[in-house]
Amino acid sequence: MSEETTITRRDALLAAGTLAAVGAAGVGAAGVIGLVGTPEPPGEPHLTAPFATGGVPLDDPAADAWNAAPESVIPVQAQNVAPPMLPTAGLLELRARALHDGDALAFRLQWDDEDVDDLDAVHRFHDAVAVMLPTSPGPPPAITMGARGTPTHILQWRATWERDLTGKTGVDQVYPRVVHDVMPDDVLPPETAKLYWVGRAVGNPLSAETRETPIEQIVAEGYGTTTHLPRTDASGHGVHNGSSWTVALGLPTNREGIGAPLEPGSIWSVAFAVWLGNQQNRGGRKHYANWVKLTLAPRE
Amino acid sequence: MATVHNWQLGRDMEYPYEGARPEKQFCMIMDTNKCIACQSCTIACKSTWTWGKGQEYMLWNNIETKPFGFYPTGWDVNVLDLLAEQSWNGGTYEGKTLFEAAPTGEKVLGWTPDEEDWNHPNLGEDEPTGDAETVPYLAENPHSMMWMYYLQRICNHCTYPACVAACPRDAIYKRPEDGIVLVDQERCRGYQECLTACPYKKTMFNLETRVSEKCIGCYPKVEQGLQTQCTTACIGRLRLTNFLSHPDEVDPRKPADYLVHVKKLALPLYPQLGLEPNVYYVPPVHVPVDYLTQMFGPGVEQAIETYRGAKDDPELLGLLMLFGSTERIIDTFDVKKGVARGYDENGKEIVAVPLREPTFVRPFEFVSEVKGEQVTGYRHNT
Repeated sequence: MSEETTITRRDALLAAGTLAAVGAAGVGAAGVIGLVGTPEPPGEPHLTAPFATGGVPLDDPAADAWNAAPESVIPVQAQNVAPPMLPTAGLLELRARALHDGDALAFRLQWDDEDVDDLDAVHRFHDAVAVMLPTSPGPPPAITMGARGTPTHILQWRATWERDLTGKTGVDQVYPRVVHDVMPDDVLPPETAKLYWVGRAVGNPLSAETRETPIEQIVAEGYGTTTHLPRTDASGHGVHNGSSWTVALGLPTNREGIGAPLEPGSIWSVAFAVWLGNQQNRGGRKHYANWVKLTLAPRE
Repeated sequence: MATVHNWQLGRDMEYPYEGARPEKQFCMIMDTNKCIACQSCTIACKSTWTWGKGQEYMLWNNIETKPFGFYPTGWDVNVLDLLAEQSWNGGTYEGKTLFEAAPTGEKVLGWTPDEEDWNHPNLGEDEPTGDAETVPYLAENPHSMMWMYYLQRICNHCTYPACVAACPRDAIYKRPEDGIVLVDQERCRGYQECLTACPYKKTMFNLETRVSEKCIGCYPKVEQGLQTQCTTACIGRLRLTNFLSHPDEVDPRKPADYLVHVKKLALPLYPQLGLEPNVYYVPPVHVPVDYLTQMFGPGVEQAIETYRGAKDDPELLGLLMLFGSTERIIDTFDVKKGVARGYDENGKEIVAVPLREPTFVRPFEFVSEVKGEQVTGYRHNT
């Protein structure tokens, strides 16, 4: 591979092949964390987050501040490590930028998707993107969302949760001309009617009637262990332009109660996942990027 | 993959989890011969559990006409098509189950219904087979005339559920106390893997809460010793909620054990799929045996013979008459001196049903006295 500052698609695909080969062992070529000064292998994707003296635009993917952040092309592949798998990839890359200011770390993620999928229905799934961070510095946990004893911290933006912020979403939006006969909340007191939305009554975050943020914070110790964190301090905003999604999302860097703080001047691993709703991506049927080195520039 | 024993197949089979049978297994017996598709069961279930927003299309209980009716459309013919031709050797299934035939990367062989497939539960209703031009409507051999029958379906609360196998988050579980299978509403994240995996298509996605739901076996009633809503509402008295024992622990006084293991009258639905479903059917006596064998397995001919002989079998007849006689779950039964009785777990009598209603025929001609005179009257027993 040639030494270039911009990563060509060919290089990215070759890198993906190399990373995939070692991915199962959980320590990718980007696993040289904490060894300051080690030269980066040429052609490997990496992400540098400049220090943003003017603050990080957590909720605005179009803000000018993003121009200061170099864009990295991150290759993604279809998840085929464990069922349920994605048989065929519908996406090859994710374009990522990052910024931080000592209080918050934000990402701007962009990927190609012609359709907006922001409602769930029978066999209809939504667009989403996720950022995965280790909870402590050092070699990252297994790429399979960590493992028992080595957790991962995940932020997931969902098109459905974004739409939830703009108003009601449910049957009336999936089928605008639906006619209901009698609904529980027409005839029962609110607390009793609520029992007929069982997911909502038991507090499942997917079923919440109102939402404060389109970002879900999750902790996991391997596939199948996704655990919702009842916190609303991660925020973000996604915008579709007709051919791609651009999502800004971020979190406070102190990560109290979850993991070690994301200090300026530190080096971390970060990974990503993308779901294309129009290809029935959901859960393990996703596109994922292997661990990538994330450098947080020192404080200015 | 673990190896588990499936008594309906007469052999061991592969399943993603270790086999563990519940203390007692919730089951239901359906006598298809009595069903008139009034849908009282469907209404009872819907008005109890699924009349909420987001549940509009859900029929946890449904009645479909066979052979041309389905809910969702094509549910059984599609999975049979996927599995392709398999075979039985007597009472042993020699073909593959849905777990054994699962494609690489999947836990269960399954197909995914489209949205549209859920919208036409009445398609094929009351449609018999046979070409009206060539098949005589009245025929000497009942198996050459046009036929149809009604199939009553709820979640089968399988011993080896495909939904449990497919869920990547262990969000579906089988209760150890009664074998009822439930979706954990807190744990589900709406991946809908269960919708593809369940061959009977009885897990359903709630459009408002964005998680999946299914028949809950009316467990709040069952926990109180009561039969399910669909059982209780059935005006044909064709259903029985009961508990089935493993074939090694049969108690012939228990209704389900008697009908399934002793008389072998009630048969499982598509046992070849390998899930060991726990809803058992008395097959419709007028339907071609080939069709029924594909649906209920190799015991069909014998079951039909047993059913036709029930009029001379007071114990069997008495038990069938206990169906629909009480809302309470019958733990044991007996038929003595023309009366069938059901008892609870403490042996206390719940219900008594005479096999013949007592009758008294009033004489046509009778004499009575009017104003001191003997008058003959004539009574018409209308």
